Amino acid sequence: MEQFLNTLSVDQALLATEYVGFLRWAVPILTAILLLRCVLPLLTFRREPEIWAWLNMATGQQVPITHWENVIGRSKSCDVTIDFPTVSRNHAVLTRYDDGSWTITDVGSKEGTWVNGRRVQICALTSKEKISIGGVDMQLQPITERQEERQAQLRTKAASGWDTVTNLMLLTILQCIMLLGFLLNSQQSDFVNVLQGFLGIVLCQWILYIFYCLIQRKSFEVETIAFFLCTIGMAAISTVKPEETVKQLIAMIMGVVLFLIIGWSLRDLERAKVVRYLATIAGVGFLVVTLVFGTEYYGAKNWLIIGNMSLQPSELSKVCFVFAGASTMDRIMTKRNLILFIVYSVIICGLLALMNDFGTALIFFCAFLVIAYLRSGSMGTVALAITALGFAGVIGLKIAPHALQRFATWRHIWEDPLVGGYQQTRALMCIASGGLLGLGPENGLLQYVFAADSDIVFATISEEWGLLTAMMTVMCIVALGFFPIRTARVARSSFYTIGACTAASVLVIQTVLNCLGTLDILPFTGVTFPFVSNGGTSMIGAWGLLAFVKAADTRQNASFAVRLMKKGE
Amino acid sequence: MNRVTKRTWLMSLFIILLLGGMLFFLWEYLTEADQWVGFSGSPHVYNSSNLGCGTVTDRSGTMLLDITESRTYASDALTRKSTLHWLGDRDGFIKASAVTNYAGQMAGFDLFNGIYDASGEGGTARVTLSAAVQNAALEALGNRKGTIGVYNYKTGEILCAVTSPTFDPDNVPDIANDTSGAYDGVYLNRFLQSAYVPGSIFKIVTVATALETVPDILDRTFSCDGKREYGTEAVTCEKAHGQQNLRQAFANSCNCAFAQVAELIGKQNMVKYVDKFEVVKPLSFDGVTTVKGNYDVSDTATVSFAWSCIGQHTDQINPARYMAFMGAIAGGGKGAMPYLMEQVTNGGQVTYQAKTQYSDRIMSEETAATVRQYMRNNVQAVYGDGNFPGLSVCAKSGTSQLGGSEVSNAMFAGFVENEEYPLAFIVVVENGGYGSHTCVPILSKVLSACKAVMDGE
Repeated sequence: MEQFLNTLSVDQALLATEYVGFLRWAVPILTAILLLRCVLPLLTFRREPEIWAWLNMATGQQVPITHWENVIGRSKSCDVTIDFPTVSRNHAVLTRYDDGSWTITDVGSKEGTWVNGRRVQICALTSKEKISIGGVDMQLQPITERQEERQAQLRTKAASGWDTVTNLMLLTILQCIMLLGFLLNSQQSDFVNVLQGFLGIVLCQWILYIFYCLIQRKSFEVETIAFFLCTIGMAAISTVKPEETVKQLIAMIMGVVLFLIIGWSLRDLERAKVVRYLATIAGVGFLVVTLVFGTEYYGAKNWLIIGNMSLQPSELSKVCFVFAGASTMDRIMTKRNLILFIVYSVIICGLLALMNDFGTALIFFCAFLVIAYLRSGSMGTVALAITALGFAGVIGLKIAPHALQRFATWRHIWEDPLVGGYQQTRALMCIASGGLLGLGPENGLLQYVFAADSDIVFATISEEWGLLTAMMTVMCIVALGFFPIRTARVARSSFYTIGACTAASVLVIQTVLNCLGTLDILPFTGVTFPFVSNGGTSMIGAWGLLAFVKAADTRQNASFAVRLMKKGE
Repeated sequence: MNRVTKRTWLMSLFIILLLGGMLFFLWEYLTEADQWVGFSGSPHVYNSSNLGCGTVTDRSGTMLLDITESRTYASDALTRKSTLHWLGDRDGFIKASAVTNYAGQMAGFDLFNGIYDASGEGGTARVTLSAAVQNAALEALGNRKGTIGVYNYKTGEILCAVTSPTFDPDNVPDIANDTSGAYDGVYLNRFLQSAYVPGSIFKIVTVATALETVPDILDRTFSCDGKREYGTEAVTCEKAHGQQNLRQAFANSCNCAFAQVAELIGKQNMVKYVDKFEVVKPLSFDGVTTVKGNYDVSDTATVSFAWSCIGQHTDQINPARYMAFMGAIAGGGKGAMPYLMEQVTNGGQVTYQAKTQYSDRIMSEETAATVRQYMRNNVQAVYGDGNFPGLSVCAKSGTSQLGGSEVSNAMFAGFVENEEYPLAFIVVVENGGYGSHTCVPILSKVLSACKAVMDGE
């Protein structure tokens, strides 16, 4: 190896310059092709309505049931509207389970829900049961197994095996040419680290894909996007702190494991509900532990030092918070549950305030907004929450001079380029220096600025790999954000929709705060760029959140959320 | 489920925020990236606090500064001293704002490639200054403090903008421990950053205002017995000038006559025309902005207003701006705006090329012509045409009193009429004493150096 490197180093300088000329074009073009191939299937798949059962009314009318969770009531926004004065606005919820069984749950109606003449709170249903809601009689007729099979065959298939392999090959080529750029440009002592980091990602992505093949899951777009982001992050770390590449790689592998574990737990909603309780407790636990044993850095007490490892447990709390917020329809309709969630949020918020971590608090707040709105549908709640944040923010700023200083330099960085605006002015200078195509690996100078691999990582990427590539990394997050909105219409359970939306919101908001903070469009908060920023806990957390996004994928054989067909498929 | 599905729109707010923010950034990138790259301290363009890429030459191609690797100044000490204030020193005490304004172009910046440049060499900036003229001017000033500016009022090129005191950046004196006062304000580019009491060169403004506002001014005569009293105070002359018309009063630089002219003009008109002539406004070119001057006659007594029209009272002018005013008169009421950066090239490509820009018309052609005649008369009748062989010079001297026991500043401003030497100039010698006596010999050397350079081109 060393000999090989020595022979290369003869005219390495010249070769490196020539190679950068190639790299500047190759990286953005390959990235664009790869991302188009991954993002388009996520945003354009057909969303065909599926019928899971029929509700046979006493009048002879047949109402199709198109979801796994259906609200029955007088309100027009119900999934099944029965316009009859004795029926409550939101009367009952009809739920289908993974094994094809159904239940009906009363959600606090006036007249009650009756099955076979008995008033019930929750009751399993077959086609024989007579349901009576506010005096309106009906019977549930689930589709047969044959019909279900037929429906599964018609459902949009996830990408074929070859598409995925092509995508992964493209990503691997991209990783290899980037790696070669480092080989030519970086010092030999650093290169071993860089090599380990990049090859580790390549191995990890292929092993995960082979694992997917074994469990007969074919969709790999979301994962490919995440691995691409990790690669870009690895490139930034290779420049700034090459000694930390392996650490980041290990975090990524732990992240993938967490991704699979959460995925497995989401696979079955009953299992998910149990895990949810554990997660709820863990979410508070992480924060309490940080608060008690944590160390304060730059005004925020959000680091936990164990041995020579530094952890940021609040990153994992985000994943727990998403778990805690997600909920099935029958529970959403009960006010008590929403109040419990608000109490939980207040506790989390209080802990964050004690930790003085402004950025993380903002992310939790946005996650709370999404959950609160998705569950209650009330803009009033949201408005109230925003007002509360406004007051809390003003008070918080009065107390925390650290945060106040960041607000003071916001949009005024050029007036204070040596102290308050130092990182951001350097970031903008280097982005401009890099142009659209970048200066090549190791050729950037932003690497000498503090947090070049985390808080202002967008600029480091832009400087070395070009603004186009940096923009495309942001577009990856946008795509992950759009996906849950698109898939919501065919979602099986509100649990998945809320989980995916909240998780994606957190990813998007973190990107907003990180990138727009770097670019002085928003105040600088020092939040991490998911998958890209150097930071182990942040990486693990990002993969955890990705599991929720992935679970919203209902395409046949795509995801954990959809069970494999027992026969055939 | 329908409800939850519909509510997912909330998510799109965050996405819109991200996309909108990024679009806004792209717009900023398109409009401001060249400034980011060239901003002081930009890692790829600067070595520590000073510009770090390429070379700077004078108008004839003489190397003034090579900053490709380290910071190498011109080979001879005099050129190093005379051009220092435009190039910046090694410690960053003197900022080379006009040159660093083109840092992005020197580094070969463009929006698509950034500063990516396969050749790895910096660019070349050619300034309009002439090292030969700078040296002649600095030598003529000698040990005196002050500034000399000369520019081409047809094209706008600044041939000479020297400031004294200065020092050799390759042989830096112990400025911090100097007690002689020889280096007072040495980091100041007096041409840009100083405002001086104009003294009688301000009478050019008063004459032009009188010509524009007092209809029968040319038919009037003004008597001077050496003193014109205003209550307990008075405007005085060094001697009694007797009866004079405006032209004679201007040539004699008669304060008593100008006090009477001031009365005819009136405060309101004077303020209006000082504003119109732009003589106290800051001047901007190549990313530098001069200090502004001062003309304030609000709440002043009649005598103070009279003194203000003679260039005393609280009047102040900036040399660069006043030089541009001279150029406007020479150009018949509108002149080219001065500039310093001629051309920037990078890798064989021209990345910046100066264009001549003109001021708005500030006075009528008739007024400009009359003022010009009067100023020409000054040289012929008073300062001596023989001092400027081969040149037809129009000028006005000034001896600005500083109050107390301080020796007056010597001022001299004007222009050359000749078609082939369209030069406007200003000379300021701090504590130089009598205006024309001190400045004419200096200007004589500077203009002949300019003439030699222009003849050679």
